[in-house]
Amino acid sequence: MSQQMSVSRPFLRRGWRAWFQVRGRHVGYIAFALNRLTGLGLVLYLILHLMVLSLLTRGPNAWDAFVRLAKSPLFLLLDGILLFGILFHGLNGVRVVLVSMGIGVRRHKELFWALMGLAALLLLGGVWGMWHV
Amino acid sequence: MRGKARGVSTTIRWLLQAATGILLLLLLGVHMVANHFIAEGGIRTYDQVIAYLSHPVIWTWEALFLIIVTFHAMLGVRSVLFDLGPSPEAEKKINLGVAIGGIGAIVYGLWLLSQLR
Ligand code: HEM
Ligand code: HEM
Repeated sequence: MSQQMSVSRPFLRRGWRAWFQVRGRHVGYIAFALNRLTGLGLVLYLILHLMVLSLLTRGPNAWDAFVRLAKSPLFLLLDGILLFGILFHGLNGVRVVLVSMGIGVRRHKELFWALMGLAALLLLGGVWGMWHV
Repeated sequence: MRGKARGVSTTIRWLLQAATGILLLLLLGVHMVANHFIAEGGIRTYDQVIAYLSHPVIWTWEALFLIIVTFHAMLGVRSVLFDLGPSPEAEKKINLGVAIGGIGAIVYGLWLLSQLR
């Protein structure tokens, strides 16, 4: 288990409000909290996504009406947020796994920022792509 | 951490969370690229979804993705809830809740996929 996790957990036992007290925390804690927030956000997305997909069983008209809606600016904004969540959670997850396997422990900060740089690039690329289809 | 006598150990759960997470990198990566980025117009129309899923390898890939992502998600929700320090009875309810939720999502998702073959 990653070190940063075992450090933060006793804190979390104090209840959910402690999660939001970010003052005086280091990057590791903020990464942990954001990983949790994006993870839960993705779960929420998954539930909504599975519900919306049921439109597919109601034939072309039902689904294609949704497709038109999904191309509205509001949906594109939500898509951008979703993409941020996936990239942050996924790439931060890579760091957590690597560090817990003993890889890059001494340079975990550089590892974190390198992965976040990659996430930022992919996010920019994805958002650019969304506005150009 | 606590609860040594609770079936699967914390270490194994963490390993499963990590392993499914890494698998998801690939599964979700392909899902996003296929359904969103290379799909014409950014999202497939009904006919395109059916054509896409008509390929057995893709269908199986999506089913696998459904199972792994649900497993990872339920394991994650469980660990977030356990961090709130629930009583042993509440822990049992949480375990039952995520198990039912997870199995429900997988059964529903597979049913959906079977309708779209
Ligand atoms: C894209 C690939 C993904 C990777 C590499 C990944 C990796 C991880 C890892 C390593 C953890 C454990 C973090 C820790 O204990 O500090 C984790 C937790 C979690 N993941 Fe993922 N994950 C991915 C996708 C997803 C998706 C798609 C969902 C939701 C549908 C999700 C939901 C969660 C939740 C709810 C947690 C628990 C958060 C916590 O304990 O703080 N993950 N993930
Ligand atoms: C915004 C980008 C996304 C688009 C356009 C999209 C679109 C679709 C479409 C058209 C399907 C039905 C066809 C198929 O099974 O491939 C589908 C299924 C699915 N999607 Fe997505 N998706 C997106 C993002 C996501 C994300 C982020 C997740 C995970 C959190 C996810 C999880 C799933 C799952 C599990 C299925 C299979 C459902 C089933 O078994 O019935 N999708 N998606």
